[in-house]
Amino acid sequence: MGKGGGTEAGDRLGREALAYIDALHNLARYLTGSLPDAEDLVQETYTRALQAAEQFTPGTNLKAWLFRILRNTFVDQYRRHRNDPTVGGLDTVDPVAQGAAHEVWLRGDIDIDRLRNVVAEDIDKALMRLSEEARTVILLDLEGQTETEVAEILGCAVGTVKSRLARARAVLRHRLQDYAR
Amino acid sequence: MDCREAQVQILAAQRGQLRPEQQGGLHAHLDTCALCSRVDAEEQVLTEILERRLPQYPASIALKRRLAARWPAALPPRRSWRRHWGPFLVPVFVAAAVLLVALPVYVERTNLAGTDETASMVSEAVNDYLRLVSSQHPLEIASGGLHQVKPWFAGRLDFAPVVSFEGDQEFPLRGGSVGYFLDRKAAVFVYGRRLHTVALFVFRADGLSWPTRDLGAMGSARASANVNRGFNVLLWRVGELGYALVSDLDVRELRELGARLASGT
Repeated sequence: MGKGGGTEAGDRLGREALAYIDALHNLARYLTGSLPDAEDLVQETYTRALQAAEQFTPGTNLKAWLFRILRNTFVDQYRRHRNDPTVGGLDTVDPVAQGAAHEVWLRGDIDIDRLRNVVAEDIDKALMRLSEEARTVILLDLEGQTETEVAEILGCAVGTVKSRLARARAVLRHRLQDYAR
Repeated sequence: MDCREAQVQILAAQRGQLRPEQQGGLHAHLDTCALCSRVDAEEQVLTEILERRLPQYPASIALKRRLAARWPAALPPRRSWRRHWGPFLVPVFVAAAVLLVALPVYVERTNLAGTDETASMVSEAVNDYLRLVSSQHPLEIASGGLHQVKPWFAGRLDFAPVVSFEGDQEFPLRGGSVGYFLDRKAAVFVYGRRLHTVALFVFRADGLSWPTRDLGAMGSARASANVNRGFNVLLWRVGELGYALVSDLDVRELRELGARLASGT
């Protein structure tokens, strides 16, 4: 039994999992929008991972497994804070984003020179204005997760990931143009 | 293939993840569809800015320590000094020998990494210069002299650009604008030389990997001279501010202007 209260498998997994802490914390920050909340979310993720260590199959993708736990933990906490899980759901974190996705889809009318001029803080703000789902799919893709892995993390079909990613990036391009000067 | 299908595949195509027949179908569509071809270009730019400028939030050291303490590496039982270190003496000597060989290689690689980051700054400077010269309105404030251009930046930047060269007959100051250098705002001063345009980007220097090798004296500063796509780029740093001087002028003339600028910074 390790100090963390887990089994030998849990301790071994925990040590391996620490290699992904920066990537997890980065996603947690973009999910929660705050650094203290991100820390709490990452701590809770590791606690849950330790408890579920026996369910992890060695040799499979540990990073994707941790991302899934982190995202599920966030969803649980978000729903708890919302009090009513049936109202809205996560896609309503930014209701405009969903409508915007349909509006911008197929438009291709961005001023590319303006887009090139956005700075880091603008990208941060624009990303935070997207729905949680759109943010997550963009960030997991940037983390190098394959569409299959993203589908497993989000619990949806690979085809859904493809279209969500394309839509999310289309909305982000338009949001960024609002910030570009 | 319709536009919706095409746009879902564009990102995968840019990453070389499509099968050849899918790639062929998408390219055939892009060749005939101006809209999707534009989205293709937008996606490339988005990938570029996300990869280079999206703020990253790594975990704090405190959090890492807290979590690491929960999963400590298994500790060996206490042993006497000789029993404890004896088995390690040979590996330690071997490691020392390897270090002697590997250290110069590591240092060389570290220098190469620095070179890559400098190349990235140089490339950014040239891109910014090209955007400036291809812009229909490169100057937001036309020059009536430096005393008119510098105050114009007040309120538009979170730093005061330190530039005292007012321009002269050889290098007249044409004006200025607010631009960007990598992830931060920059004051842009535009000078002329015959028909050539010379752009000086002044920006916060923190967080960038400044060149430390092959610096040449230039006025009171030491600058790194670089060539990228036929353009000459001089980079130097004075205190908290960084300077990138870019033009298609030859490097000798660019250094002349650089010396005038650096002597007043």
